[in-house]
Order: sequence, then C-alpha cells, then structure tokens
Amino acid sequence: MKRLTLLLAGMAIAAATATAQDYGIKTHQLKNGMKILVQEDHSIPNVALYIFYRIGSRNERPGTTGLSHFFEHMMFNGAKKYGPKKFDETMEAAGGSNNAYTSNDVTVYQDWFPRSALETIFDLEADRIQNLNFDEKMIESERGVVASERRISVDASNIGLLYEQLAATAYTAHPYQWPVVGWMVDIENWTMEDLKHHFDIGYSPANATMVVTGDITLDEIVKLAQKYIEPIPSRGLPPKVTTREPEQLGERRVVVRKFAQLPIVMMGYHVPEAANSDYYPLQVLRTILFEGESSRMYQRLVDKDQLAISINGDYTPAFDPTLFEITARPKEGVQPDAVEKAIYEEVERLKTGQVSDRELEKAKNILLADFYRRMKTINGKANALGRYEVFFGDYRKMFTAADDYSRVTKEDLQRIAKKYFTDKNRTVATLIPEKGETRQ
Amino acid sequence: MNRIFLFLCLCVLVFSHPLAAQDSSLRLPAFSKFQLRNGMTVLLLEQHEVPIISFSMVLKAGSTSDPQSKEGLASLTADLLRKGTRTRNSDQISSDLDFIGGEFDMGVSTDFTTGSAEFLKKDIRQGLDLIADIILNPVFPQEEVTKRIRQRIDEIKSAKDRADSVIGRYFLAYLYGKHPYGRPVDGDEVSLAAITRQDVERFYETNYVPANMILAAAGDFSTSEMRGLLEQRFNPWPAKNPSPVRIEEPRPAQGKRLLLIDKPDSTQTYFYIGNVGITRMNPDRVAIGVVNTLFGGRFTSKLNTALRVDSGLTYGARSSFDQRRMAGPFTIATYTRNATTEKAMDMALEVLANLHEKGITAEELASAKAYLKGQFPTSIETSSQLASTIARLEFYGLDENDINSYYSKIDAMTMADARRIIQQYFPKDNLVFVLIGKAGEIQSLAKKYAPTVDTKPITQPGF
Repeated sequence: MKRLTLLLAGMAIAAATATAQDYGIKTHQLKNGMKILVQEDHSIPNVALYIFYRIGSRNERPGTTGLSHFFEHMMFNGAKKYGPKKFDETMEAAGGSNNAYTSNDVTVYQDWFPRSALETIFDLEADRIQNLNFDEKMIESERGVVASERRISVDASNIGLLYEQLAATAYTAHPYQWPVVGWMVDIENWTMEDLKHHFDIGYSPANATMVVTGDITLDEIVKLAQKYIEPIPSRGLPPKVTTREPEQLGERRVVVRKFAQLPIVMMGYHVPEAANSDYYPLQVLRTILFEGESSRMYQRLVDKDQLAISINGDYTPAFDPTLFEITARPKEGVQPDAVEKAIYEEVERLKTGQVSDRELEKAKNILLADFYRRMKTINGKANALGRYEVFFGDYRKMFTAADDYSRVTKEDLQRIAKKYFTDKNRTVATLIPEKGETRQ
Repeated sequence: MNRIFLFLCLCVLVFSHPLAAQDSSLRLPAFSKFQLRNGMTVLLLEQHEVPIISFSMVLKAGSTSDPQSKEGLASLTADLLRKGTRTRNSDQISSDLDFIGGEFDMGVSTDFTTGSAEFLKKDIRQGLDLIADIILNPVFPQEEVTKRIRQRIDEIKSAKDRADSVIGRYFLAYLYGKHPYGRPVDGDEVSLAAITRQDVERFYETNYVPANMILAAAGDFSTSEMRGLLEQRFNPWPAKNPSPVRIEEPRPAQGKRLLLIDKPDSTQTYFYIGNVGITRMNPDRVAIGVVNTLFGGRFTSKLNTALRVDSGLTYGARSSFDQRRMAGPFTIATYTRNATTEKAMDMALEVLANLHEKGITAEELASAKAYLKGQFPTSIETSSQLASTIARLEFYGLDENDINSYYSKIDAMTMADARRIIQQYFPKDNLVFVLIGKAGEIQSLAKKYAPTVDTKPITQPGF
C-alpha cells in the first residue's frame, strides 16, 4: 500500500558506483530556496516527481515520537483548494498515483503520473505545501491508520519489533533511538499543535529538494515551478540537531521473549554518517560480507555451518553517525549464541587476514551492477538523485562514486574492520521464542 | 456554458498533452520469435537505454505438476538447479554469478516455473554460459538437497511468525480444497520432508525439456548476435516429449464457510474474503480490471476509502483478481485491531453489497480508465519487465495484441459493461473467509459469517 513507512533499512540505496558518464542532469534554484533537479528521459510518456524534505524522526522529541511520519500521512488529508480526499481523487483521475516515506532523516513525497497530468500535480503539491488544512476529524481517523501501520510493522513483525529494541538500546542520547513510526503511546497522544509546529519547522521550501525525471524538459518544469511553487514564501530551517551519540564503552545486550516459532539475532555497530570518507570502504566491506550467495557470511552461516536460514547486513546513508546492522535468523534447534559466535569469527577474519583481489573486484562489480539497475526506471533515477543530493550534499557524487569505490584498498578494509567492529562498539538484540498456549 | 467549458478543457489538453494522441496507441516494442530445432521457444526484444540484458524463462510446469504428498517439489527443484552442475559446484556458481554482478532467480507458481536473470552487457557471454549450464546440466548433489529441504521447512516456520506472509497460502488451501490450486506451491513442513533426491531428479527429467521452455531476452543487444549466442548454448539440449498434467477447471465455492487460524500473539486480525475468480485469458479481463480498480484496486477505491480513509480501521484494504491458466482467486484483503474485527468485516461486506446494489458512476468509470492508462507504461518500462511480459504472453497463448489493444479496450468500456461485470464476476452470497488472529478474542464472532467454521492453531503443520 501507499505511504509505506520504511522503518528498517529497506530504503537502502545500498552503495552506488558509476562510471563518469554524464546523465544530463539539469538544476534550477527557485527564489524561495527550493532546488530542482531535472533529468529528461523520454522512453515512456510518464514522469516521476519526488520532493525531499530534510526532516524526519531525528528532529522529534520524546513524547511526540513518530510525528514526522504522522505528518507525512496528514499531507494527503486536504488543503485549501483540494479538500479532504481531493488530493488522491484528483491525482488518480488524472492518471497519477503517489506514495511517501519517512525515515530518521527525511520525509519524501513521490508522484508517478502520465505527462498529461504535469500541471495538475504542481497545483496539488503547491496547495498542500502552502495551505495544508488541519482537520480534527481527519487527525483522529489518521491516528487509527498509523496505529494499524505500527501493528503490522512492529507487533506482527518479529524483525520490526527486535529492531526497535536494538536501536533503543544502541543509542543513549541521539534521536535515532526511537522508531520512525513512533511509540504507540505517542501515536495516541499527538495534538493539533504538535502537527502545526512540525509544519512550521520542516516544510519551508528552502528545506526541500524537488527531483523530476521522465518525459519532460527543464524549461517546462521551471515554468511550472515558477508559477506554482516560487510564490510560496520561505521560512526558517529546522533547528539544528546538535546531539551526538557518545562513544560506546562496552557491549550492550537486549532480549525479547515472545510467542514465535524461530529466534532472531540482530546486532548493531556504531558507524559514521554518509558524508564521512569511511562510508565507501564500509559499503565495500558490507558487500564482501553479505551480498550474494558467495558472500562470506552466507557461505559460512547458511551454506557451510548451516546455522541460519538467512543473514543480512545493512548500512544506510544517514545524516548523523548511524548503525551497521546485522540480522540473522537461526535455524530451528540452533542456539542464537552459536550464530553470534560464527558472525564474530567472520568479522575477526577481516581484521587479521586480507581479502583476496577477486573478492575486492567482485564487490566493486556488484556495486556497479546495482547502480545500473537503479537507473532502469524513472522512479529509480528520481530517488537515487534526490538521495545523493540530500545525504551526500551533491547529486554529482552519484557519478563519482565509482572512483570513490575504486580507491578502496584491502588495507582500508582491515583498518575499518578494526576500528568499528569491536566488542565495545556492539549492541546485540535476540528474540527468544516462547511457545504460547494455542487453542484447538 | 457547456461549450465554453469544453473549449477551456481543450485548450489545456492541447497545451499540456502533446503526446495524448499517442496514448490510445501505446505499443509494445517490436520483438522477434523463433523456435530452436529442439522445440524451445525464443523471444528477443531490443532496448538500448542502459547497458543491461534481462532474461525471463517460463517453463510449462509448476506446482500443479507436484506428485500427491510431495507438494513443493517443483519449487525445490527450481531452487536446486544452481546448487551444482556437471562442471561447477554450488560455490563456483555463486562466485561466478556474483563476480559479474549478475542476478539469477527462480520461482514457481501453480502453472509454471519462472527464471529471471540479468547481466551487464559486457558480461553477457559469461552470464549466458552460466544460465545455460544451470538449466541444462544440474546434478542435484544429495547434501544440497538435504540442506535445502531443512532450510525450506524452517522458512515456512519463520513465515508463520508473520500472519500477512502466510494468509494467502491458508486462503488458497481453504478455497480450492482438493483442487491442485489448493496445494501449497512451496510445500509445507510435512510434504517437504517426504521429498527425496530421486523425486527432484525425476521432476527435472520429466519437465525440464526444450518444448516446455520459453526464453525471452530484452535489453541492450543486437537480435542477430543474441540469436547466435542462444543457439550455440541451447541447441545441444536434446528434444524430448513433454508430459503436461491435465487439471480440471476449479469450481466456485457455494454458500459460506470460514477458517480461523489461531495466532495467540496477534494484536490485529488479518482476513481474506473471496471466491474463485477468472483466468488470464478471460475476454473481460480489462473491464474487470477497471471495475476492480474502483472496488479495491487503488488508494481511493471503495474498500480503502471505507476501511482506511473514512474510518481509520486499517492501514490498507484492497481486492484483486489473481489471473492464472485456470481461474485464480478473487480476494478482499485487509487487517484491523482485534477489537474492531467485526466492524471491519461487516464494513467490507457492506462495500461489496453496495457495489452490487449501486454499481459505479460515470465519473468513477472515467477516473479508473485514466488511472489504468496513466499507470500502465511503468509496467513495461524496464528490460526485465519487457522480457517477463512477452514470455508470459507466449505461455498463455496470447500475443502483443493483448498489450497493444489494452488502451482501446479500456476506452471502449461502457457503464452497461460495468453493470454486467459486477453481476457476472464479483461474488455476492457465496463467500469463503480466512482469518488469522487471536482466537481467544475473535472466535465468538466467526459463526456470524458462515454456518461452517473451522479452526486450527498456526503451529499445526500445513496450511
């Protein structure tokens, strides 16, 4: 369904590499501060329009966790010209569809439509950015929707539930500690004032980047933006998030016991933000350990030792220092600590021995192929461009990433393994099944 | 007044719809089709946007070819292809595939086995060597078979920890009963344990034959060169007669029955309501798609408006007609917290009853038509989508006309058609219900919906 919050790292634009090929990106800056990126692609008569707002759960406070995500839902519930339900009805009748997602760092609105709907889409977006209506009845109804979303993504998902506990334990100070969807009790207690405040701090045009790809030209986008978006006055930017997570000085552990058939093991290591130069070697390391059935972790845990039915590693671009997350699902009858031990041994192997030339080259090839796959659709292009612009500070980083990856050496991998993958820097969360009573 | 209104509309159209004239003639890119001398069908479609080549295979044997009590055999066989060939072991295959950043996946449905692969253009020869080896020369080592069966059984247990990942399997089993569409495509905890290496080998020998194979390629290649590359690798595959299974047309359920799966940690109830629907070849499928878009196929649909937008009972409610070689299921699907289960189920049934009583409006019809036409191009945008589309058309005995006439069929649909479609294809009184939830809280309301109520715990093997 739409407005699917990607609570875990599902939105990972893993790592991207590219040749120095120029993809013909054009940019324009509106007077109110909104930057626009345009990429023409006339292969189908359709357009993808994404607006990235630099505001997410990281900008929240205890008591109103999940507000960014709830606000994202409210952006579809009526403004001045297009009242309740009219945003979706108008867009779908014009042949368009939409979604949106919220993460720790950003809130992103996505419109997909035939080019014939272009002006309608600008009218709809401008209306809600400028004149969002806060209707008490809509707020209450949407509160139920978000609570249901939390039940399906946390209550009904053991991985979602465990991840929430991992983050809550790994961070003591930084706002990445609370879930993007919010704690249930906060979902039940947001007020209209909270929403209005969120709009004021996060939704200034200067805090947004628009990306348009598909069957359009820069000129027509600039003309429409000047007509619909530019008149919207700029306000301030969100208050700076100054909190930094203090260095972790010892392993932290958390256990969840609940009705389940199989256990889960999850761990998080503190690693730097996307703009840090260690980002690239860490992505290469992640690829060597976790990507494909020939990866070290899959080979060891799933194939050879047969301890787990799956193992994944995630490292998603973030504004602030974040977690490198490992998730393993032990097989029936395998103790979680056996899985943990095997993971640690593979991590140690990276510190003491060097990876082979072939492994390093394989990782770089996988990253390159991933890049091209994302470029196959106008949606993939819009999302990737926006994420590079927002998380790495410049969309052009997308096209120089190939060089950044090619510079990664075996020594870099050893260095970062030693630096980040230590016992002290680790938080471990395990889900232990309790066989509950079932009625016959 | 009307004339002015129309005139203004036309101005807007002329200004912002330069491609509108092309809209009603959206066409699949041209592709070529030929057969190898061993009977294998090949389809080739050039698309030069990115330096990637995608393959889609459709093998005319799926889970309906599984022997009785060996459910999951087709699926397991597809999985094991890459676990060793005459010249490469499992590790080499994975390593060769990952080294070139390639993708290779197999999947199985009731009617067929699918394979998809994708390589960068520069690696196409190594990529093709690899898939040809996997398809033509698998050896199914005993230890890989044993390992994979154990993993599969654990995966089913893990899936049962998430209601929304298994409710579809329970629904098909309960709806279709003994019909082959009711048997679990990926098997269950018991059937998988009964499968041996010999079963896998026999399934492969019987079903993986050239006459059963459709291979489509789309992407950055020249047709003549790709033809040569494929002939070189697949011509040596010996011809053999296929042994298709014959299955009966499934019959829609009569009356009402309900299955409740107890998952005691549930905070929400997940439910499917439906019956047997339509085949992929149904001549009314486009019109059915238009009506279903309005009923439960998009965000502003009647179901989602009632259950999500107006009432906040759920994160989402939808309906679908799953189209297969035989009639697949029609389902209404949603979920809601334990305490609002009855309210949400009543509401879903009311929306269905309203569709029969009130039908749809002309304005709604126009909106659904525009929506389907506006969204359709993104479903045939990439080389992998195109390869998969033409391979499936071939499987169903359809051709590019099915796609090329899509817009004109949508345009031609009338309000009278909509009324007929609702009467003919949307169930009314004959309904099958499957619920997964906390029986302790919702069991008492089950009998309100059906005279027949069955219950079982989620921990019980099978579906």
